[in-house]
This record gives sequence, structure tokens and C-alpha cells, in this order.
Amino acid sequence: MERVCRKRPFVAALLVAAMAVEPVISRGQTSQPDQLRQELEGMKEQLRRVEEQMKKQEAIIQKQQAIIDKLAAGKPAAAAPAAAAPPPTPTAEADSERIKREVTEQIMRRIQPSLTAANKTFPSQFNPALGLIIDTVGSYSANHGGNFELRAAELGLSASVDPFARGYAIITGSNQGGFDVEEAAIVTTSLPYNLGLKGGRFFADFGRLSKFHDHDLPFVNRPHVLDEYVDGESQSDGVEGSWLLPISQQYVTLTAGAYNKIGADNERVNNTVPRDFSKFTYLGRVFSFLPITEANSLDLGLSGGFTPVVQEDDRARRTLGGIDLTYRYTPLSQASYRGLVWGTEALVNSEDRPIGGFPANPSPTTPLVIEHKNAVGLYSYLEARLTRRYYPGFLFEWVQDINPGVGETLAYSPYLTVWASEFQRLRLQYTRLEAPGDHDNQFFLQWTVILGSHVHSFKDR
Amino acid sequence: MKRLLSAVLIAALAVLPGPGSTADKIKVVATIPDLADMARHIGGELLDVSSIATGVEDIHAVPMKPSFATMLNKADVLLLLGLEAEHAFLPALLEAARNPRILRDAPGYIDCSVYVTVLEVPTRIDRALGDQHPMGNPHYNVSPEGGKAAARAIADGLGRLYPEHQAVFQRNLEAYLTELDAAAAKWEKEAAPLHGQKLVSYHPDLVYFAEAFGMVPFGTIEIRAGIDPTPSHIAELEESMRKNNVKIVVRELQYPAGLAESVAQTAGAKLVELPVMSGGLPETKDYISFLDYNLRTMLKAVKGS
Repeated sequence: MERVCRKRPFVAALLVAAMAVEPVISRGQTSQPDQLRQELEGMKEQLRRVEEQMKKQEAIIQKQQAIIDKLAAGKPAAAAPAAAAPPPTPTAEADSERIKREVTEQIMRRIQPSLTAANKTFPSQFNPALGLIIDTVGSYSANHGGNFELRAAELGLSASVDPFARGYAIITGSNQGGFDVEEAAIVTTSLPYNLGLKGGRFFADFGRLSKFHDHDLPFVNRPHVLDEYVDGESQSDGVEGSWLLPISQQYVTLTAGAYNKIGADNERVNNTVPRDFSKFTYLGRVFSFLPITEANSLDLGLSGGFTPVVQEDDRARRTLGGIDLTYRYTPLSQASYRGLVWGTEALVNSEDRPIGGFPANPSPTTPLVIEHKNAVGLYSYLEARLTRRYYPGFLFEWVQDINPGVGETLAYSPYLTVWASEFQRLRLQYTRLEAPGDHDNQFFLQWTVILGSHVHSFKDR
Repeated sequence: MKRLLSAVLIAALAVLPGPGSTADKIKVVATIPDLADMARHIGGELLDVSSIATGVEDIHAVPMKPSFATMLNKADVLLLLGLEAEHAFLPALLEAARNPRILRDAPGYIDCSVYVTVLEVPTRIDRALGDQHPMGNPHYNVSPEGGKAAARAIADGLGRLYPEHQAVFQRNLEAYLTELDAAAAKWEKEAAPLHGQKLVSYHPDLVYFAEAFGMVPFGTIEIRAGIDPTPSHIAELEESMRKNNVKIVVRELQYPAGLAESVAQTAGAKLVELPVMSGGLPETKDYISFLDYNLRTMLKAVKGS
């Protein structure tokens, strides 16, 4: 048995040496806590392997010792089964503990500088994720001439607030002047019963493309029906609750919200003055996803907005309804380079409006002639994914003006999107516009890039 | 109004799971079939396991279907590859799923990469270097060692969550690892002809496979991870492959066929088509058969080249 004990330090030294040459710590040399955690877990795994190896070595040594002892006693040698091996002696256990301690100490010595560095930079880990989107458009119109436009430099910040909520903000600067808080909202993350709550300034859950930022749209410009009926993006100051129905067979969400107004460009309602309940805008939406096959699916949404008394007009209620339908063909094995999307939204706007619209310079002596109008409009587009880079598409639009006595607008826009990478995109679009008093041919070249953090958002899918 | 509410409640109750169904089991959702297969081995009858991906997808481009949010909403446990492999779909699905039990850092969120010795951890984070994974290459599931590490993470994670079943999980893990070890020992011997063979793949999916079987990753058809190639990159790659005697081009099945074929043909190499997850082909119905298929296919190509 003494011979066995003399061999153990040698085996242990070999194992420690083997650990020392393993490229465990130095890989990456980064001070990120996640990385360190990863490395620590890797080391634990290696330590476990060393222990296993030690146990195997001990079993072999004990077997050999048994053979030697039997030979020495002049008895026929027979290999002892592993299960019959004697239990480890206190000396063996002490050796094992010593080796573990030595290996752990060596590992700790090696990772200590990285841990120290990580601790020094740790406060910055609480900083929100930052991303910047630059969206530029060069355009030429046969009727109005050409223009280069920095449409948006959009700074996005997001982070968890605590275990119960996260927050995000989108701050946009454009050549239309100054900076604007496009969104700044708090979103709950752990309400019970599948509930969610959102408060602050955000894009209300109306329809589909109303919730997209301009640079996220599948084509260059927001469809006329959304621009006119929703007044741009569905930006709203208010509160919104939603409920994911607790059924496993079907994805269905119900949303309800109350806001000062809906629409980033909606100037019919003052966003800054207090009002009574009749002058808020209320929203309801139901959305469902219908999987047809593995590759084919349908999104279906119904939205309704209601303002009992439109504040500035102070005369009548306004209702806005919409249906959105999106068909997707996404072959699972080729999802990154093949696919088809057909998206359609139809809206109805119902309110009292002056014939011909509000005059730019109203006269106090000439009363406006008001008429109720139900205006209808839609857009529909088809986009193919031919490769990872090339996405051609076609957009059709038809919109009745919300003012009585004004005609309707038609537009046809073929376009081609070219993705240089996931973070850089070029888009070429031609639009034939047939609006009341403005028949025009328009050309657009859009160049959009993403810097820094980016997210693949569920609502932008 | 009361009638309407009653009708809604009755309809909701009708679609809720009844007693004696899979409702009693621990609901596990894995992002890929490999992890789902391991979980089935480790948890046995205690678990009701489903997978988001079927095995044919690109893990970086799994379609973000709302039906996955419904699946995640009911989950007690989420198993993921980690290392940001699921970045394109999982964070958004988790937000939509409204299930605090499986949010990041919650006990039900089991990152299966924790025991993996990660390769290709970038020393510099810069988008000029492509669509980087800051924590390292996440495709460890293509190697036996990666699989063993993931299985251990699953058993440990489940044991932490359900200590009353810990002994079962550990016993099943040991049995599974014994099976995987036996297969790995066989593969190690069989893989001798692969040693030193250089390979080009479409995306850096096979770095762990190459390390496991002694192959040498030479380059990718993509310029950088996630960035589609340009004609000049392809020309340089083909030239470089000829000069360096690279005889294997791998097309992972989720990438287009034409370009990989053309590169292989022009560079005088053999084209090998491999799945990157189990379930990618009928022959790869579980994790061990997936690893076995990939090795066998590669051996066939190397011996034939």
C-alpha cells in the first residue's frame, strides 16, 4: 500500500499540469460577467472531469495493488471487480481533497485579474441598451422637384426597470426641426393572468403598420390611408392594457386603451391640456394568429377607436375602425431567403367634417358647413423574398378623403429592397400618385442603417 | 351582458385541459429538437416536452409565430442553446408569452450552454466583423462534448427546479451520458480519416464538429457570419481553397444549394450537405442519430474525395 501512496502525488501533479495547459481562462479575455460565469461553469465541469479521472486512476491502482498483494502471497492472480474494491482510506480522501484544493486555488489565481476587472466596470452594466437608426431618403417628384431628407436619426434606449417592468424610449431628430420623444413607455413584465400594461407615450395597438416606425415599414412611405385616418404613426399618450387569452389552441389577444389622442400628426386634439372623460380617445382591439400549415399562416386583427367628443372641433364624436389581414408564406428550411407576405388593411373613419375641409385661414363671419362623412380607405401590398438580399414588392392604395366634397386618392408603388446585411438596407421605389389635383410620378431612394443594439420586436414581425 | 359573459366563460372552460391529461406533467419547451430529445431522456414520463424549431430551420431565422408564444405561455421550463443563438426570435416571443416563470434569469430559464467550453469568443465586438455572437460561437450542439454539457445543464436545471425528482433526473442523465459516451468512443475511432482535413462551410456552424473530429475550419461562404457573400469573396475563397488543398465544402441544409455547389465544383472539392439539428432529415430523428449521421456523411465524403 505504501507503493500506491508514493505514486499518488505523481498522478496528482500530472493532472494539475494537464489543467494548467488547458485553454480555459484566457479565451476571449473579456470582462463581461456573463462570460466569466460561463468560464467558471466550464472550470467546474473540468474539475468534475479531473475528479472522475482521479477516481478511475485510484480504482486501477487498487486493482493493481490487489494483484501484487496476491502474487506476493503466492496465490493465483485474479482481477478484482471494480465493485469489490476496498473503500478509499482516510489518506486517499485527504489526497483527493488536497488535489481539489490545489486545482481550485490555481484556477482562482488565474481568473482573479478578470474578476477584478469585471468588478471595476460593473456599474456600467446597468446602462440601457443603446441603438441608433439613421433613415435617409432622396426623392424626386415630377410636380414638386427633388429633395434629400434626413427622415430620422432615431435613438433607442431600453432596459429592465426591476423584476416587474421594463422601460424604453425612442428619441428622434429629423430635418423637420429639433428632437422629439417619439416613444417613452413603461411595460409590465410579470403581471398575473396573462395581463400586460403599458403607460407613457407609445404607439397604440391600432391595426398593423400604424405601430411601425417609418424606417421599419416594408416600403418607403406610410400608406395614405394611415397617414390620413390615423394621422401617421399611432403615437399616443395614455395607458393600454392587454390580455393573452389562456387557451393553448389559439393565440388571441384583447387590448383596451385610453389616450389623449391617437396619431403622431393629429392636430385636431391638443395633447397638453386637461380634458374630461368624453374627450379622451378609447381603443379596443382583438388579434389572432391562424396557422394554416407549417409554412402558411394568417394574422387577423380588428381595431376600433372612439372619441366621444373631438376636443378642438368640440362638436361631434369620431370613430375609426380597421381590419388588418396578413398572409405569410415562410418555408421553414429556407426562412432566411425565401418567402412571401401579403398585407392588407382597410379603415373606416366616421366623423363630422366641414365640406372641403378646415380652411387654412378661417373667417369668423363665414360659418363652416358641416357634414357627416364615413370615409373608407385601404392599402394592400405583396412582397416576395427572393434571396437573402432582394425583396421586391408592390403596394396599391385607395383612399377616400375624410372631408366631404373631396375626391379619392389612388397610388401604385413597385419597389425593391436590397439588404446589404441585417443592419443596412437600400430601397428603390416608384409611385404613381393620382390624388385630387395632384397626378404625379415620384421616385425614392431610401438608405437605412442600424448602429448598436437592435431588437427583433414581436409587433414588427 | 350576463349571458354573454357566461357564454365566454363556458367557451374558455371548454378549451382548458381536463384532469388526467398532460396537465399534470412538467411542461418543457426547448428551442431546438436536440435539447427536447435530451430532456425526454432525462425527464422521462415526468415531462411533457415540445420544441419550437423542428430541425430544418436556421436557428438564427426561426419564424416568430405567435403560436410559439402560446406554447411558451404554458411552459414551466424553457431550454435554450444560449450564447445568443436564439436572439432573432426568443426574446420577442418571451415578451409576448407573458410567463414570468421562464423569463431570463428566472429559475425556469435553463441556458444549456453553461457547461460548454465556448469556442470563437470574439476579442473585439464590432459589426464590421459580421453578425457576431459576443459570448462565442453558439453552435456547440453539433459535437458530442457540447451535447454532454447541454444534457448535464438540463439535468442540473431540472433538479434545482424540482428537487423532489432530482435523483431521477441524475440517474437518467448518467444512463444517457453512458449511451452518448459509448457512441462518442466509437465515433472517435471512426473519425481518424478526418484528422487534419480542411473544410469550408456556409456559416460557422461546424466549428465544434471540426474540433471534435480533428478537422480544420478553413473559411465560410459567407463573408462574415450572417453576411451574404459577394462575387469577389467567392473568387478569393475558391482560389484560396485550391492553393490550400481544401477538399470539403459543407452546405448546412438551411442555406441555398446553388452557391455551395458552385464553390465546391470550382475549387475541386466535395459538397457535403449536413443538418445542424436533429430532425433536419428523416435519418436524424434523435440527437445521437443526428451526430452519427453527420459523422458518417462526412466520412463518406472524405473517403470519396
